[in-house]
Amino acid sequence: MKRPFTVLVSAVIVAALSTALSAQWPLSPKPGVPKGPDGKPNLTAPTPRTSDGKPDLSGIWMRSDRKPGSEAPGQPPLATFGDIGANFKGGLPYRPLALDLVKKRAGGLDNPDALCLPQGPLEYHLDPQPREILQLPRKIVIVFESNYGLRTIYMDGRPLPKQGEPQPYWHGYSVGHWEGDTLVVQSNNFRGALTGQPGDGWLDGKGDPFTDALTLTERFRRVNFGQLQIDVTIDDPKAYTRPFTVRVEQEIVADGSEMIEFICHENQKFLKLTGREP
Amino acid sequence: MKSRAAVLLVAVGFLLPGRPLVAHHSFAAEFDASQPIKLTGAVTKFEWTNPHAWIYIDAKDEKTGEVANWGFELAAASGLMRSGWTRLTLKAGDVVTIEGTRAKNGTHNANAQTVTLASSGKKLFAGANTPTP
Repeated sequence: MKRPFTVLVSAVIVAALSTALSAQWPLSPKPGVPKGPDGKPNLTAPTPRTSDGKPDLSGIWMRSDRKPGSEAPGQPPLATFGDIGANFKGGLPYRPLALDLVKKRAGGLDNPDALCLPQGPLEYHLDPQPREILQLPRKIVIVFESNYGLRTIYMDGRPLPKQGEPQPYWHGYSVGHWEGDTLVVQSNNFRGALTGQPGDGWLDGKGDPFTDALTLTERFRRVNFGQLQIDVTIDDPKAYTRPFTVRVEQEIVADGSEMIEFICHENQKFLKLTGREP
Repeated sequence: MKSRAAVLLVAVGFLLPGRPLVAHHSFAAEFDASQPIKLTGAVTKFEWTNPHAWIYIDAKDEKTGEVANWGFELAAASGLMRSGWTRLTLKAGDVVTIEGTRAKNGTHNANAQTVTLASSGKKLFAGANTPTP
């Protein structure tokens, strides 16, 4: 939980943190970061663009700490890592199958995050660990520090495959295109909760499910230099009675700090502590 | 003379988390929030690892006098790094007081919320495995 800081305390903490971090993993400020008169990154500077004029989403991003309930009128409800429906009026439109899964998942034993498995698409967008977007000419790659997730979004004009045609992936199959300054990504062919494999088909820490019928639509908009909005539409007729949309907000990491190695199975004790491994 | 670790701890002691550290695991699956625990002892091992760092201490049971080795789960090493910890923050022999929550399975394991170093009195946020929003 973010705590209120006074300006002075914040300054001391930032100074101390900078020293401590640089002592072990040097900061490497990126070129092209706009600066304000005080020399600090100007997070409200205009959205950077690639040579073809499209918004450049590249960068290391942390989830925003803005809490559900602070949405502007007309904005999709903000999702949280623990519960994508945290501020969804009337609750998510569960089918009985989905509601049953949420009940069975209470306690989080099969959360893919806990099991060091690939997390669901929203769980990844909302994880407290950062992710790096690498925007290339014909594909966009997102590397998630948590559990080393890797998503590839094909930008070469190929169509979204039919459901069930390619082998289902943990991360699904993603194609993207630009609509004005918005990157629209559609994904399908997810493994989903019906495989029965622990960790499959989790949207959040609560265990809101998705199935192999999921078509995911993500609309990425880099509002300015520092902010990224992702409106995520879940269209999964096996799990939900209708499509619904939630919003994720992320903030750029502009201090030159990097992704940190995260080998999840290095010292994994979750199965032992929960009695499923001797 | 202050050790290198102690010098680092002085710096770390100023730090408060601006963001939640990595809450990697399902807290409720592993720990019982109704069983807080506070133990003091000498560090026997500091595992600077992911998905969680672990501190092991030899702690005496105040009622029985019996000494047992306890393991405390912290946040991930990656999250602790962002909070100012390093792999040198603790070393075997350092005396610490750890406050946290016991493991559900009744073993000598717990998660750590704060770690206080006896030599300096500095309280470090361990940021471990708390229920996250």
